Amino acid sequence: MDFSSLYDSLALIKPEIIISVTLVLIVVLDLIYDKNKKLVPYLALLGLIVSGIYILSDIANEGFAFKMSATSNKFGLLALDSFGSYFKLLIILTSVLIVFFAKHSVEIENTGKRQGEFYTLLFGMILGMMFMVSASDLIMIYVSMELLSFSSYVLAGFIKLRDRNSEASLKYIIFGGVASGVMLFGISLIYGLTGTTNLYSINAALQSGNINLIVLGFSLLLIVAGIGYKISAVPFHFWTPDVYEGAPISITAFLSVASKAAGFAILIRFIKTAFVTNVDGSGNWLLVPVFDWKTLISVFAILTMTLGNFAALWQDNLKRMLAYSSIAHAGYLLLGVVVFSQIGIEAILIYFAIYMLMNLGSFYIVMLIADKTGSEDIHDYSGLGYVTPFLGVSFAVFLVSLTGLPPTAGFIGKLYLFIALIDAKMTTLAVIAVLNSVVSLYYYIRVLKHMFLTKPNGEVKEIKLSTANVVYVIVLLIPVLVLGIYFSPLVNFAESCLAFLSF
Amino acid sequence: MNLYDIIFYLFAAITIVSAFIVVNAKNIVYAAFSLLFTFFGVSGLYVLLGADFIAIVQVMVYIGGILVLLLFGVMLTHKITSVDIKAGSVQTIPAVIIIGIFAALLIGLMYSTHWAVNPAEIPVTTTKSLGKTLVTEYVLIFELLGILLLVAMIGAATIARRDGDK
Amino acid sequence: MLTEFGKIFVFILLAGGFVAIALVAASLIRPKRPTKEKLKTYECGEDPVGSPWVRFNIRFYVVALIFIIFDVEVVMLFPWALVYKNFGVYGFIVGAIFLLVLFLGMAYEWRKGDLEWARPKIEPPKMDIKFKPEIAPRPVEEKTVSEVE
Repeated sequence: MDFSSLYDSLALIKPEIIISVTLVLIVVLDLIYDKNKKLVPYLALLGLIVSGIYILSDIANEGFAFKMSATSNKFGLLALDSFGSYFKLLIILTSVLIVFFAKHSVEIENTGKRQGEFYTLLFGMILGMMFMVSASDLIMIYVSMELLSFSSYVLAGFIKLRDRNSEASLKYIIFGGVASGVMLFGISLIYGLTGTTNLYSINAALQSGNINLIVLGFSLLLIVAGIGYKISAVPFHFWTPDVYEGAPISITAFLSVASKAAGFAILIRFIKTAFVTNVDGSGNWLLVPVFDWKTLISVFAILTMTLGNFAALWQDNLKRMLAYSSIAHAGYLLLGVVVFSQIGIEAILIYFAIYMLMNLGSFYIVMLIADKTGSEDIHDYSGLGYVTPFLGVSFAVFLVSLTGLPPTAGFIGKLYLFIALIDAKMTTLAVIAVLNSVVSLYYYIRVLKHMFLTKPNGEVKEIKLSTANVVYVIVLLIPVLVLGIYFSPLVNFAESCLAFLSF
Repeated sequence: MNLYDIIFYLFAAITIVSAFIVVNAKNIVYAAFSLLFTFFGVSGLYVLLGADFIAIVQVMVYIGGILVLLLFGVMLTHKITSVDIKAGSVQTIPAVIIIGIFAALLIGLMYSTHWAVNPAEIPVTTTKSLGKTLVTEYVLIFELLGILLLVAMIGAATIARRDGDK
Repeated sequence: MLTEFGKIFVFILLAGGFVAIALVAASLIRPKRPTKEKLKTYECGEDPVGSPWVRFNIRFYVVALIFIIFDVEVVMLFPWALVYKNFGVYGFIVGAIFLLVLFLGMAYEWRKGDLEWARPKIEPPKMDIKFKPEIAPRPVEEKTVSEVE
C-alpha cells in the first residue's frame, strides 16, 4: 500500500473534505439542539467560507487525485484544475448566497425544527456538485450526480403541506430516475466498448480506433440525456417548469444556478477530456472524429433557447416564467460549448458568474413579494413599482440584465458569447441567439409593465423590507451594474481559469 | 446446448415472462409479486455472468427490501378499502412500436459490436477482489457512498415522517 | 462458467424451482371437486369479515425505508469486511469512517423518534363521515391509534 499518493490526493481535495465535515457537523448540531436551529445556518456559512478560502488559496494546484493503481498510474478519479476550481468557487458563492436567501425566506422559517435537515440536504447537494465538477471517471460522475439528485429531490418537496410541492418532488424524482438510469446504461455501453471508465483512458481508446461508431454514438446520446436533464436542455426539460414552480424559492434559485453550473462543468469536462486530441495555437479544440458533437449540441442549443423563450411568453406565474427563462439561458450557454474553443469556455465562465448574480437577484425579489403578498402571479404585481420603488427599480435592473441589454452585466455575458460564435464563424447561430434575446425582451419587460404602468385593482399595500433584505438586494445589484461597465477583472479571472488538466 | 445454456434460458424465460406479467397485471399486488420473480431471474443471470456478489445484493436489497417497500406503498394507499387497486394500460400500440424499434436497435448493436472483452478466467469469488478495489482505488467512492446513504436516510425520514410545518 | 458460490446459488434457485414444478404437477393431476365449504378462506366455518386489504400505518413505511438503507450499507460493508485485515490500520480506518457516518444516521433516526413505536404526539385520525362500515364499529374511545390507521 502506497500511502504517499493517498496523502497527495487528500491534500488536493481539502475543500470537499471541509464540506463533508461540515455536513456531518450540521447533523450533529441538529441532533444536539432539538429546538433551537439558529446556529445551523452560521455553521453552514463557516464551512462554506473555509472551503472557499481553501479553493482560492489552492487555485494553482493541479493534479490527479485517487489514482488508479491497477490500470495505469497516470489518471485518477478526480482531475483538479483551475477550470474546476472556478466552478467550485461559483458553487460555494451561490451556496453562501442561498444560505442567506433561506434565512430570509418565510417558507423555510416555517419548517421550524426541520431546518436542520434543510441544511444537511443542501450540503449534500453542494458536496455532490463539488465532486461532479472535477470528476474524471464515469463512476465518479455517476455517484456524485446521484448525491446531488437525491438531495435535490427531497429539497424540492421540502414544504410538505403544499400539494404543488409534493407534485414537484414526485415529478422530479420520476424523471430524474429515468434520466440517471438511461445515463447509467450509456456508461455501461462505453465501458463495454473501451474497457475503462476513466475519461483519459477512454480518450486513448478512442484515438486508437477500432470502435463501433454507431454504438458509441448511441451511448453518448444516452449520457448526454443524463447530463442534459441536469442542465434542463430541451428535450430533457419537462420537469423544469413544474419543479421550479413547486419547490421552495430558495431551492428553485439554487437549482437554476448551482445545479446547472455543475451540469455544464461536467458536460464540458466530459467532451474536453474524452474527445479532444489537441488544442491548437488559437485555442480551438481538435476533436476525435468519432461523434458529431457540433451538430448535436447546436441542435440542442437552438431548441433550448427557442422553446425556453417562447414558452416563457405565456407564463403568468413569475416562478414559472423564470424557470422557462433559465431554460433559455441554458440554451445561450450551450452556444459557448458549441464553438469548441478556449474562447467559448471563457465566455461560459463569464456568463455563469453574471447569470448567478442576476438570476439569484430576480428570484430573491420574487420571494420577497411572494412572502408579503402570498402570490407569484404577474397580475398581483400591478402597481408594486410605485409603492416600493426600491424593489421595482432593482427588479427592473435584474430583468434588463437577464435580457442582456447594456449597461448591465448581462450584456457583457452575451457579448462574449456572441464574440466566441462570430470568431468561430457560426453566424447563423449568433443570429438565432440575437433574435431569441429580442423575444425574451417581451416577457421580461411585461413584468415591469405590470409593476409600473398597470393600474392595480385595489389598494396596493407597501412591502416592508428589513435592513437585511435591502442589503442582500444591494449586494447582488451593485455587481450587476458595475460588471456592466468595468468587467475586465472578471474576464481576466475567467481567462486565468481556463486550464484543463490534460496529458 | 450444454447445461449452462439450459439454465440461462430458464432464468431468461422466468425474467421475461414475469416482467410481462408485471406490466399487464390488473391487480397491482399481483404485479408486485411477479416483480419478485423478475428480480429472482435477474439474480440468476448475474450468477451465470460470474457476478456472485451482485446476485446476492440483488436478492438482499431488491427482493428483501425494495419489494417489501413496494407492497407497503400499496398498503398505505389512502382509499384502499373503497377503490379497486387496478392498473390499466393505455396507448398499447404506439408503445409496442417504440419498444420494438428500441429492442431491434439494441439487438442489432449487440451483434454488430466488437466488445472490449476481458479474457480473464472467472475468479473463485468476486467479493474479495471487489473489497480490495473498494479499499484502494475506489476508496473515495466508498466513503462518498457512506455520505450518500446518510443523506438518503435523512431525506427519506424527513419526507416520510409526519410532523407538519407551522 | 460459474464462481464457487454461483454453483451453490444456482442449486438453491433450482431447488426452489423443483418445489414449484412439484406443486404445478400436483395441481394438474389431482382430482378437483370443489364445494362451497372447501372454497371458503377458513375451513373451520368462520366467514371472514370485511376486506383483507387493511390500510397500514405510515410508521411501517418509515421503518421499511430505514431498513433498506441499512441493508444497502451492510452490502457495502461486506466486501470491506473480507479484506480490511490485509491493509492494516488503513483498512480499518476506511471502514471506520464509513461506519461512523452510518452510526450518525442511526443516531439521527433515534433522536428524531423514528425508531420509537408509541410516539406521543400523534393526532387521532378523523373518521370519514361518508364511509359507513357494514358491521357496527367498536366505540372510538377504546381504539388505540395503531389499530385504527
